[in-house]
Amino acid sequence: MRLIFKNLNVLRSTINAISTGVEIKEIVESAGNNLPNLFDFCSFGVFWKEDLLLFLYQEESCPPSFAQEVVKNMINVFSILGEEPIDAERITLQVDQGKLRAKQRMVSPKATLKSHLTLPLAVEGEILGCLSLSSDRPNAFDAQDLQFLSVIGYQMAASLKHFQRFSSVKNMATYDTLTGLYNRRYFEERLEVEAEKSFYSGAPISLVMVDIDHFKKVNDTFGHTDGDQVLCKISSLLKASVRKKDTVARYGGEEFILILPEARLEQSFVIAERIRQLVENTPFEVGRAQVNLTLSMGISNFPSHRVKSKEELIKMADQALYDAKRGGRNKVCIFTEKSSQWTVPT
Amino acid sequence: MSSDLVLDLYSDLLTELWEIVSALIGEAILAFLFTLAIRKLGEKHPFLLSLEVSEEGVSCEKMKEDCRAVAPAEIHRGFQGLINQLSHLFSALADGVINKELFPKVFSKVREAERIISQ
Repeated sequence: MRLIFKNLNVLRSTINAISTGVEIKEIVESAGNNLPNLFDFCSFGVFWKEDLLLFLYQEESCPPSFAQEVVKNMINVFSILGEEPIDAERITLQVDQGKLRAKQRMVSPKATLKSHLTLPLAVEGEILGCLSLSSDRPNAFDAQDLQFLSVIGYQMAASLKHFQRFSSVKNMATYDTLTGLYNRRYFEERLEVEAEKSFYSGAPISLVMVDIDHFKKVNDTFGHTDGDQVLCKISSLLKASVRKKDTVARYGGEEFILILPEARLEQSFVIAERIRQLVENTPFEVGRAQVNLTLSMGISNFPSHRVKSKEELIKMADQALYDAKRGGRNKVCIFTEKSSQWTVPT
Repeated sequence: MSSDLVLDLYSDLLTELWEIVSALIGEAILAFLFTLAIRKLGEKHPFLLSLEVSEEGVSCEKMKEDCRAVAPAEIHRGFQGLINQLSHLFSALADGVINKELFPKVFSKVREAERIISQ
């Protein structure tokens, strides 16, 4: 009886730990840390279908061949449950090998998988993945183990579903659904942080506002579906042309905006000019036709321009973009206080 | 033997199976497994698609309405297939842990059903 109470207490704290996790790794880790107090196993695995991630917690002494068997078994069970074959090569395996218990359990180097309990992580009829306990001993698990694991699995599935919903809401709030670039809302947030950092430290920061020239013509001639494809292609070019620390966002219809932290004016001009030339020299497949497109861009910078707020930085980049448009398009313009000054492409 | 009688027999059997297995793996997973097994066998034994499965349990009430014209032997074959399919899933999940609990109580009844129908 005392043993049951002890187990129920461990079960309770395991569930509590799982339910407070907000990231998938955290949820799986909570389970991985608590389960050795409940079950006698040498490997615990969680497979997360959405990202094809497989987390494996196992005894330090488990041979690699054992881990391979566990992975194979989990994929096999999941394929039966999910009614679709899973390509093992596409799975990202995260193995955490260490001491699961204070008193280490020695696993033979020749150990093979002898018994397992594998349960689907199912919520509202949807299968999110599966979790599995594996042992090198035959008949290592009994009905009570299965009951406990199902309770843990139920809580994990609920927490993971919550995480999935949260991620999808977070994605919607962060990314532009068409282009996959950051959206305007995220851009505003990011600029707030980066601008504050620069204003405080004095480090430079540049904003580049980008607009596709005569994009309306593309939409009018080829239709919005093809127009959307052009937006996606240009988004990819923008993303590929900046540094890792830069932020590329869709600002509006055919307008994009780049935050270039720690970029001096000359540096940001080089980046913008490179992008302008790249787009100018890229033929775009639209329907059955091939079209050439150009970009107009406006740059503002701190500390080169006297700005005190992120709003001013945006306004100046917008003004410079306006100058580029007015100056004949296919140009990169830098904001100037009085008259606009634009550079002519070479 | 009438279709109703065979259905009643298997309805009791599934209720018993549900009680035993849901205590081991929970209602949500069991409902998922039932749905999976029915989907797998639905093409071969379409009458199984009338089986109502939810986290509350499994019910043959709608099936009784829908299957008046189905031969008792076909109902028997369909349910036998369903129980085998479930048993296969239980074994894939937990080696023999679930089936060990089920065998003494449920599988003996399956044999009994076979005997009654063959008479």
